[in-house]
Amino acid sequence: MTAEPLDPLIHAPARLRIVATLSALPDGDSLSFTRLQDMLGLTPGNLITHLRRLEDAGYLRSETTGNGRASRTSIALTRQGRAALETYTRALRDLLGGL
Amino acid sequence: MQGTNDIDQPAKADDGDGLDPREAAQLLARTQREAQRQFDLSPAWLTVVTGAVVLVAYGALWLSTRGQHPYEGPSLGVVGLVYAGVAVAIAASVKIYRRATSGVRGPSFSQQRGEGIAILVSFVLGSPVLQGAMKHYGASDAIVYGVIPAAAPLIVVGTTVLGIAAAKSDRRQFGAALAVVVAGVAAAFAGPSGAWLVAGVGLFIGMVGYAAADVLRQRRAPVRA
Repeated sequence: MTAEPLDPLIHAPARLRIVATLSALPDGDSLSFTRLQDMLGLTPGNLITHLRRLEDAGYLRSETTGNGRASRTSIALTRQGRAALETYTRALRDLLGGL
Repeated sequence: MQGTNDIDQPAKADDGDGLDPREAAQLLARTQREAQRQFDLSPAWLTVVTGAVVLVAYGALWLSTRGQHPYEGPSLGVVGLVYAGVAVAIAASVKIYRRATSGVRGPSFSQQRGEGIAILVSFVLGSPVLQGAMKHYGASDAIVYGVIPAAAPLIVVGTTVLGIAAAKSDRRQFGAALAVVVAGVAAAFAGPSGAWLVAGVGLFIGMVGYAAADVLRQRRAPVRA
């Protein structure tokens, strides 16, 4: 049996940490941009870049409320994103089991 | 990503080149464990500390009523100590809750609020209503101020939590709640003074068991690296 390839969108340290952090929330819950940034210790620019890539793939959804300085962005893992992380975890398990 | 107009550095999108599977597994496990710790509404240490406070408080109630013939109930000083312990435990829980839920939104909030209201109502109404009814029908102080306030909260609140845990298929919470209900039933037959001891030990075992199961769950890595 051939092991599944590791999803390149998740298999990058920063994006793996983003997806893993959001997966710890109950299904459907979202996390504010500032709390996520605080937890991961990434710069805003770096975090935005990774979030965009994950959102473009349908793994995340973001929602912004308010305007200007009062605006608040929330990020949540989609079902597709949760499934992608499960597949990635299974692929890792297969790879490591074969080592 | 609108609303995050604070880009202050050139964005760098790292890729997974050089990240071997073992490193990835370790990073995944570490990140999930840290995130679960930060989002945890009832961390294991707080559950154990609260369990110890409960054990000391119920132990003090037992010591202050042991050997009373006829039973008169615990002294006011001990009752004050119990209320102080409960107040400290509630204050610590509120602080942890606020920190854990900072920046978090979603459907789990309304569910937690509903669960909290159900537990509060069963706690506030369960034992006092039974005590009032028993007093009204002429039951002795041993029943009204001994057996019922020691055993009833464990049975009433424990059963409420049992239902919540069953609805969520949460086996850890279900097991802990079942232990508390069983302790409440045992306390109901342990006599007015012994009821406090049995209830305190039962609550302590239920809480420590829940904390231990929680720690084991969090230590279970998604992938063994």
